[in-house]
Amino acid sequence: MIRALIIGVAMVALAGCAMQPVQPWEKGMLAKKAMSFETDKLEAKFAEHTYSSKEGASGGAGVGGGGCGCN
Amino acid sequence: MAATRILLAALALPGLVQAENAPDKSTLSVKYLDYQDSQPNLDRIHVRSPAIDIAVPVAGVWLLRASVVSDLISGASPRYHTAVSGASRFEETRKGVDAAVTRYFPRASVTLAAGRSGEHDYVSRFVSAQASFASDDNNTTWLVGAGVANDRINPVNDAVENEHKRVVDLMAGVTRVLTPADIVQALLTHVRGEGYYSNPYKYIDQRPRHQRQHSLMLRWNHHFGGSGATSRSSYRYYTDSNGVDSHTLLGEYVRPFADGWTVTPSLRLYSQSAARFYFDPVYDTRFGPPFPPGYSFTDGRDRSADQRLSAYGAATVGLKVEKEIGADTTVDVKLEQYKQRGEWRAFGSGSKGLQAFSARSIQVGITTRW
Repeated sequence: MIRALIIGVAMVALAGCAMQPVQPWEKGMLAKKAMSFETDKLEAKFAEHTYSSKEGASGGAGVGGGGCGCN
Repeated sequence: MAATRILLAALALPGLVQAENAPDKSTLSVKYLDYQDSQPNLDRIHVRSPAIDIAVPVAGVWLLRASVVSDLISGASPRYHTAVSGASRFEETRKGVDAAVTRYFPRASVTLAAGRSGEHDYVSRFVSAQASFASDDNNTTWLVGAGVANDRINPVNDAVENEHKRVVDLMAGVTRVLTPADIVQALLTHVRGEGYYSNPYKYIDQRPRHQRQHSLMLRWNHHFGGSGATSRSSYRYYTDSNGVDSHTLLGEYVRPFADGWTVTPSLRLYSQSAARFYFDPVYDTRFGPPFPPGYSFTDGRDRSADQRLSAYGAATVGLKVEKEIGADTTVDVKLEQYKQRGEWRAFGSGSKGLQAFSARSIQVGITTRW
């Protein structure tokens, strides 16, 4: 419960960071492909599948995707 | 000229640069993965995976996406811990297909997705929904999502018959533009599953029929104006009801060069604690391997000798090279090497008595837009 509270507070703080708002004409660098959090869908799928098949942890970057035998 | 094009693209996006507009071009990606993992004296799993992903914008406000992957899996998997003599050899194929439709609104987007993954002994189906909402100044985007997966399990050794697993996952997050060169994201996910989690092909493997997973993912991308490079960093904290706590750090440095070349070295560090029902490779003096000391055939306790549930640390080094061919086509190659060791665990001692585990993968791909 305390952990969830800390995380919630952190997320709210992140959303409300009191920094100077970035203006539309300042977003040229942010528009570059490498700045996206999803640059290569297939590469991300390969990574999620191979890591979840050999590690105890999985997910964290989204929802859906289903499972596999991976024995 | 290229800088002007990027600036115009940014100004044209009313939302957070990355979210609330359908792409203006269709994309087709084809990739091939060759993966091999191993331990000393045993090549374990070899996977060859061709995959296709296509995304087509429609009428400026819709995006249709579909992908297909086929895993050709062969090799051997230890039946307990890393015992070579207990490895079972097999060969099988997994086919996965999924599709998604996204509707874009002026400051929001909604995505519905569904998919199926099928092996001869394991079938999984899922549906999911995600939505994003941007703030008035377009510097903050809130993300929410939910998914349901239903798995059906029919192992060929008849250890169980027609078993099932139902998993519900929920996500909430926020993406925030901090500066003209920095964007960050926090994602919180909660997964709740009921059903058959045991591994029917391993000896002494009985796991709880319910599992809860929680993760917090933090991501930060920074652009270096001078070199044109981008650093991409992330941290994931994961904990589950089996007792596994893990930390994952990932760093990538995307460095463009002249003539359309881009080189991306990467480093991933991972550490996890053992599941509370994992037992080390120390065996009962009466029954011998794979039975743990004091084993009882009738107590019904959860136990597992699966290496993946032990305590260890791991590191992956990677290198990706991309080359633009013309304005709308890119080819790429990515190499990765992975090593897992008990003594590499951070924040505690690792499990003892297991063989070192390694993996290497090669990906080649081509992406074209039109």
